[in-house]
Amino acid sequence: MARDTTALSRRDVLKASGAAGAAGLTGLAGCAGGGGGDSEYPAIGNYPVEGDEVVFGFNVPQSGSYSQEGADELRGYNLAKDHLNNGGGWVDNWDGLSGDGVLGKTVASVEGDTATDPDTARQSAQRMINRDNAIMITGGSSSGVAIAVQGLCQEEKVQFQCCITHSNDTTGSECVRYSFREMFNAYMTGQALAPVLAEEYGEDLNFYQLYADYSWGQTQQASMEQFFTEVGGWNQLESVPTPLGTSDYSSYLSDVPRDETDVLVLNHYGLDAANSLPQAIEAGLDEDMEIVVPLYNRLMAEAASGSIDGIFGTADWNWQLEDDATQSFVEVYREEHDRAPSYGARIAYTQTLQYAAAVERAETFYPPEVIRELEGHDYSGAGLGDETMRGCDHQAQRDVLVMQGASEEEQTEDKLLNIVSTTSRDDIGYACDAGPAAECELGEYGDE
Amino acid sequence: MSGDRSGDATDAIPDGGTVTEETAGGSGGSALAGLRERDDFVVVAMAAALVVFPFLLIDILGAVGDVIGISIGGYTGLPSLVLIYGIIVIGFNLLLGYTGLLSFGHAAFFGSAAYSAALFSQVVPSPILMVIVGTIVATLLAWPIGFVSIRRSGVYFAVLTLTFGQALYFWALGPGSWLTNGDNGFSGIEAHGLFLGAIPLDAQLIPVFDSYTVMYAFTAVVMLIAVWVGNRIINSPYGLIFEALGENEERVEFVGLNVFRYKLMAFIISAVFAGVGGAMFVIHEQYIHPTTALYWIQSGDFVIMTVLGGTGSLVGPVLGALVFEYVANVISGVSLPMIGSIGSLWRFVLGAVFVFIVWVFPRGIYGAFSDLGSRLLGEDPEEPAVADGGERE
Repeated sequence: MARDTTALSRRDVLKASGAAGAAGLTGLAGCAGGGGGDSEYPAIGNYPVEGDEVVFGFNVPQSGSYSQEGADELRGYNLAKDHLNNGGGWVDNWDGLSGDGVLGKTVASVEGDTATDPDTARQSAQRMINRDNAIMITGGSSSGVAIAVQGLCQEEKVQFQCCITHSNDTTGSECVRYSFREMFNAYMTGQALAPVLAEEYGEDLNFYQLYADYSWGQTQQASMEQFFTEVGGWNQLESVPTPLGTSDYSSYLSDVPRDETDVLVLNHYGLDAANSLPQAIEAGLDEDMEIVVPLYNRLMAEAASGSIDGIFGTADWNWQLEDDATQSFVEVYREEHDRAPSYGARIAYTQTLQYAAAVERAETFYPPEVIRELEGHDYSGAGLGDETMRGCDHQAQRDVLVMQGASEEEQTEDKLLNIVSTTSRDDIGYACDAGPAAECELGEYGDE
Repeated sequence: MSGDRSGDATDAIPDGGTVTEETAGGSGGSALAGLRERDDFVVVAMAAALVVFPFLLIDILGAVGDVIGISIGGYTGLPSLVLIYGIIVIGFNLLLGYTGLLSFGHAAFFGSAAYSAALFSQVVPSPILMVIVGTIVATLLAWPIGFVSIRRSGVYFAVLTLTFGQALYFWALGPGSWLTNGDNGFSGIEAHGLFLGAIPLDAQLIPVFDSYTVMYAFTAVVMLIAVWVGNRIINSPYGLIFEALGENEERVEFVGLNVFRYKLMAFIISAVFAGVGGAMFVIHEQYIHPTTALYWIQSGDFVIMTVLGGTGSLVGPVLGALVFEYVANVISGVSLPMIGSIGSLWRFVLGAVFVFIVWVFPRGIYGAFSDLGSRLLGEDPEEPAVADGGERE
């Protein structure tokens, strides 16, 4: 037996050394073609961009629970890519965008699967950066993923454009220079929701919270407590953590004191909410109290469609808005995909165009200059009126929609929610030294 | 002077008495020289493979990808990642492939080592010390978990280990986030480089080949140590008892050996490997998240890698780690001309590969290769000695 193995291994070694020799030749051949690049700025990250293509990395959940959301993000991204290269959509209206690529280079893309897992997302982003030379990475449908990838992008000095991420920490304690967020956050949800609920349900009420026990849930419940207490003078009875991914909430729901509680806040997102909300309705809690979900998304609204009637929550954007930008986006999206876009698609589309526009303004792909163009940039035409990408924490200052679930008779495939009001960005937000922004230190541009 | 009598290992196993003799430390002298050569050969062959591995994975596959127009090349960082998982599954295989214990909670050791190394790096940013600290914590954790879990066998053992792992996961995600930074992930890990920071880990090893980093060299050295240690263990009398336990626990007990103690030791040894891997992972990624570190899927991935590569062969599981990580991180990003992106299908691809391998080659990829090798040399392929494929080499 021993002799066999040795013989076999010797063969292996021979084969391996043969392969290594061949490999060495290829390697040397490849070396001769190596290029430097002529540019006004020093090389950093994947700058300078060589050739006549520029690569964007679309890193979205393609497998797992949030793959639907990821698929819609990807539709937004591909629409943006198409418009940047060929014109159409918002590209025709935004300043600086030509419809002929970005800085004359055709936009190409690579895709990856985050699997809603921070490390998978980082591996995927790493591949895009190292192998595919992506100049910008964007995507994700959870804050854990966004924070993980933006940290990597800061190290690698590659731009990251957040997609769906609602945690305060993304542009708070975990913020980085190389990442920008168009979406709003938990803090702004609290600010937008509290006045509407105080008016709807009255003042001096008791509320009870359940929250998913991870970073987003924790910041979300803290923000709700802060604003419900401040704005409506409400009183929190208790705030109870539930493990992420719980499928049966009945024991938590049965602990809710029905007599004392006026409002129940379910700080769950996506599939968690798709479980907890219907279970709360089934337990009859809606007869004794009002139920609130802070953040709606399409996945959850669809999964819980029978239970969302009249339930308040917030959303990033909705296709039912009547402004021109929204309508033109919905139209081009419908042409291609036969249904209305979810807000994930809007953020994906916006974030890609924003990056491209910043590159055009900076007249270079040099990341520090692009970042400086994005910082403090005022813009409109992204479906939410006037917005500002704030320089101090890279959080967009924008309006937030307060939504209410539609009744089952009202519901259609696309229309699950009604827009109750748009809370102006003047009434929400926080100063650079307050709220989540107080904890934000952006880090280096890379050219200091 | 541990025995090198693996040559007659398969003969010795059915006879419990021989095993006892082995424990007593009796090691043969006559055939020693020949066997020694074979023993070290695993390490030498591994070293040779490690030298060409990044080049094949990144440059050659990348060049092939350019030719066929499908991006199938690896990227900087992937070779190290494969080796890190390889180290873990070499240890895991000692437990699953040899001792026959299926643990579904090894993420607990991987993750606790990762977090300890991460926390320790805030004080002393030395990669080598981080590995040592991580490994110590994983080992200390393995003792009580093993002590409790090993009292049950089969499914109950698997579920107990799973429970411990999941408990740690939920703790790290929620209540323990003051320490682990929860879902935001633990970043800001500073590993200052080897030799008191003199050689940064992300530096290039050789100027021309940027596929080779210092981190890769560091991982490769740790990998070689792991292979060497693993090889020593399975060729020692102690390792023989592990294998005997996997084949017939009762007989080992009748011989008068303390089965519990050997099982516990196998469990702890495998946790040491997982701990080394966890700490290496943190040094490599400079980031750790509860889902990666402690979630049960991570434990399941260890099982899949091991079975895919080949249980009961020392380096087989490393092949499993390679295939797994390659599919997960490269195939997941491939776009095919007609079909489009197959990102969402990578788990399906992995599942198909897994089913195919387990169905056609029950002894894993390594077993398939060694059978093929024997056939090419015109010899009868080895028959698996035991039903569960617990055969080595």
